[in-house]
Amino acid sequence: MENKLLSIISKIEVLDPMNAKKLKASIPFQDGEYWSRANEFINKYERLLQSMNKTIDFGIECYLKVCADTLYEQIQFAKTREYSCKSFADANRMIYGNPEVMEYYMHGLMLSQFLWVHHYEILKYFSTELIRYRENTVRYLEVGGGHGLYISEAIKLLGAEVSFDVVDISPSSIEMAKSFIVNSRVNYYLQDIYLYVTGSPYDFIAMGEVLEHVEQPVELLQKISGLLSDEGKVFITVPANAPAIDHIYLFRNIREVRDVLDRGGFNVIDERVVFAEKVPQGKAGNITVPFIYSAFLRKKK
Amino acid sequence: MEKNEILARLNALFIRELDNKDIVLTEATNAGDIKEWDSLAHVLLIVAIEKDFKIKFTSSEIMRMKNIGDVISSIHGRLTKS
Repeated sequence: MENKLLSIISKIEVLDPMNAKKLKASIPFQDGEYWSRANEFINKYERLLQSMNKTIDFGIECYLKVCADTLYEQIQFAKTREYSCKSFADANRMIYGNPEVMEYYMHGLMLSQFLWVHHYEILKYFSTELIRYRENTVRYLEVGGGHGLYISEAIKLLGAEVSFDVVDISPSSIEMAKSFIVNSRVNYYLQDIYLYVTGSPYDFIAMGEVLEHVEQPVELLQKISGLLSDEGKVFITVPANAPAIDHIYLFRNIREVRDVLDRGGFNVIDERVVFAEKVPQGKAGNITVPFIYSAFLRKKK
Repeated sequence: MEKNEILARLNALFIRELDNKDIVLTEATNAGDIKEWDSLAHVLLIVAIEKDFKIKFTSSEIMRMKNIGDVISSIHGRLTKS
């Protein structure tokens, strides 16, 4: 059987040797579960691409554009120790409301879910732990559904009676999630989450990589708390020291993330931190390594 | 500045930043040829190059840098413009 992921990496190596070097340093050491899930994902992603009359080469091109954007932002971050995007209004104008940028951004991030091992580790953590909340989940909300991979996982893992809602501010994200998920149990709301209201509270809310996109993450958490049932649970992921074209709020360490969660009204049930890179011995002092903080939360009583 | 001068200056910079005195750059050298030249080091190298040559690369210039020859061309282009 053709290994599609290795084939993708070979293509990346031709276009961007540096990028391929990073991938080859981590991906060959993954276990059988990784390869099985990656293969399933790529087959599904290729069906999405076919529906758009595109091939995997388009996905690779988008991925490399995202990497180039990220590299540029990393360089600016190394010089200033600040994210370059300063307001949600700017990010909304330049990115979320710009279909051309959003298209390559969503496709690039989609491929990164398996090409970047730290992204895969967070996805695996979500899948493994979500099963614990299966029995008490009937209403499920994802805020900032992005490409749709996480809600696609939730549909696989949760019961057939569960209803799924997605709220996203970007029309491009919603269209991509619809094409990737292809499931009539999912309702999509093109809306600013701050303006979103619901008749009955949710049992589970997933919010992956959203807090760093807003100016006031505590306010967003308080809004999420208002949408959640008293016994409901939340899954969040938060990149820290991770410059990107639309990252606004800079979390510099785990303590800062925990502090925001606490002020937003949540207790941590379980947490996982994954670093984006392995730092060579002796270099740690010179380099700020991006990491993703992820956690399952409950409301503070 | 001539391209061979840029290459020599880059070589010294790579030796310093990557802490490897055995590095010998050519225009064909890429990240696959130098163990220490990984994605994190790449960020630090670009920052060091910009500082050393007193230039600022654009996003598209950085995207085009696949080997040392590309880096030299970008630096040469910047210095020629200024």
